[in-house]
Amino acid sequence: MIDAILFNDIIHGLFVLIMGTAALIITQRSLTSLFNIYAAQSMILAVMAIVMYIEYGTLNLLFIALLTIIVKTVFIPLFLHNVLKRIPVKRDLQFSFLSPASSILISAVLIFIVYFFFTGLAGDMLDDRPLLLGGVIGISLALMGMMIIFSRKKVITKSIGYLTMENGVLLFSLFMAEMPFIIEVLIVIDLLMIIVLAAVLAFGIDSSLEEFHKKLNRLGIWIED
Amino acid sequence: MNWNMILYTVLNTTFVFLFAPLIVSLIKKVKAMCQGRRGTPLLQTYFQLFKLFKKEIVYSDNSSFIMRISPYLNIAFLLVASIFIPIVFIPAQESGFGNIILFLYLMVCARFFMALSGLDAGSTFGNMGSSREMTIASIIEPTTLMACAALAFILKTTDIPEMFGTVLSGSILQYPTLFLVASSLFIILIVETARVPVDNPETHLELTMVHEAMILEQSGPKLALMELSYGIKQLILMAFLINILFPWGMATDTTLSGILISVASFIIKALLLAVAMGVFESFFAKIRFFRLPDFFMIAFFLSFVTIVFELLS
Repeated sequence: MIDAILFNDIIHGLFVLIMGTAALIITQRSLTSLFNIYAAQSMILAVMAIVMYIEYGTLNLLFIALLTIIVKTVFIPLFLHNVLKRIPVKRDLQFSFLSPASSILISAVLIFIVYFFFTGLAGDMLDDRPLLLGGVIGISLALMGMMIIFSRKKVITKSIGYLTMENGVLLFSLFMAEMPFIIEVLIVIDLLMIIVLAAVLAFGIDSSLEEFHKKLNRLGIWIED
Repeated sequence: MNWNMILYTVLNTTFVFLFAPLIVSLIKKVKAMCQGRRGTPLLQTYFQLFKLFKKEIVYSDNSSFIMRISPYLNIAFLLVASIFIPIVFIPAQESGFGNIILFLYLMVCARFFMALSGLDAGSTFGNMGSSREMTIASIIEPTTLMACAALAFILKTTDIPEMFGTVLSGSILQYPTLFLVASSLFIILIVETARVPVDNPETHLELTMVHEAMILEQSGPKLALMELSYGIKQLILMAFLINILFPWGMATDTTLSGILISVASFIIKALLLAVAMGVFESFFAKIRFFRLPDFFMIAFFLSFVTIVFELLS
């Protein structure tokens, strides 16, 4: 149990960091730094879950933090870095529909719209500011992830968009809704599948199936007998 | 106008005037060391200014009176703007000065006359520099305004000395959103002082220069004034950033020891920030001109998010 004012300040600071990482994910072009920023963002979420565990004492939160640290800050970035070593792409310079500048502008507008609707919907929850802020930031992070998915061209950056979306959902569930732990586990398994699929797509399906198996074999995601 | 105010104005302006060239050379030194060179001595900018003040002035035949008066106007605007940013001590509140909007207008006036003087001589480089400077200015200005609005939102005042006082009497943890505004202010600082991802202050006669192109036609003491006003602009923007984020040690009364402590602590903080800026610059290559809006948009986004945060808390 920590002092309520200190708790609020810490949570606020972490929100600030999350928004900073979100802005970087939208504009960053180098893939390595994209993965690192994603890992950092997941780490911040884990820290947030730990802080909330200390405040509220729900064991669920600790499990979520552990799962986030293991899968999202260690495993997924490592896997993505591994994939990156094998593909000739190092930077994602292509953007469809939106340039980074306009996506940043649109995400600012998104945050404002979400804020507007949330304060309309929240009613008596308005008194609990951190919870409301968590909801707003969570939903807007998910929407920003969606925007990354359609504005980036490369498959591997699209997958980062999906991962960001999931971070947003996690943030939302931390603050607004009690998500059962089993659902969180399922979502993480989904994430792993998405990453593997993205690796397959990024790797290229231009060659024949046999050669493709060999390629996958090298990655360690397909073991031939 | 009371004695407190007069003392403050004299001390603050003198300090800014004397300290600004040191920061310019320090950043150059840090950059040189990052590149593996030894770099110029720390007092080099002072020597250069002295040398320039002794030289004669040459004007282009095409230039008009704008060219002659703009260095004076430029440095005057910036020195007046420097009074808005307390460094030596925070003057008594009832004097009623230091409005942030007026501060921005003063900075813009200085920039306007600099761009005019770039156009005035009729050289192609000057025209190009002014045109680019105005393009950049028109993109960064909304961001600057947004950052200032965010500051006014957080600290509930548009008075710069009062802002510093509020942060000084509270703690930085009380205002976590200040870090967001500070990062956006840092980007603004980089843009306004024409530093590397935006413009390269070291190059001359290259097609990429912006700030240097505008002062290319100035010579002798007028050039010295322009260079000095560049240093002053850099110092007051740095002071703004430092005192918003870490105003510790700043005096709120006019005792001698208080003033000494606040000057000493400011010098340490400014030197640290200058080193940080030099290292930051060494990490980046210049961004292509048409890609600059991406860089500015991050600053805009951070300030905007700050306002939403403040609406919610």
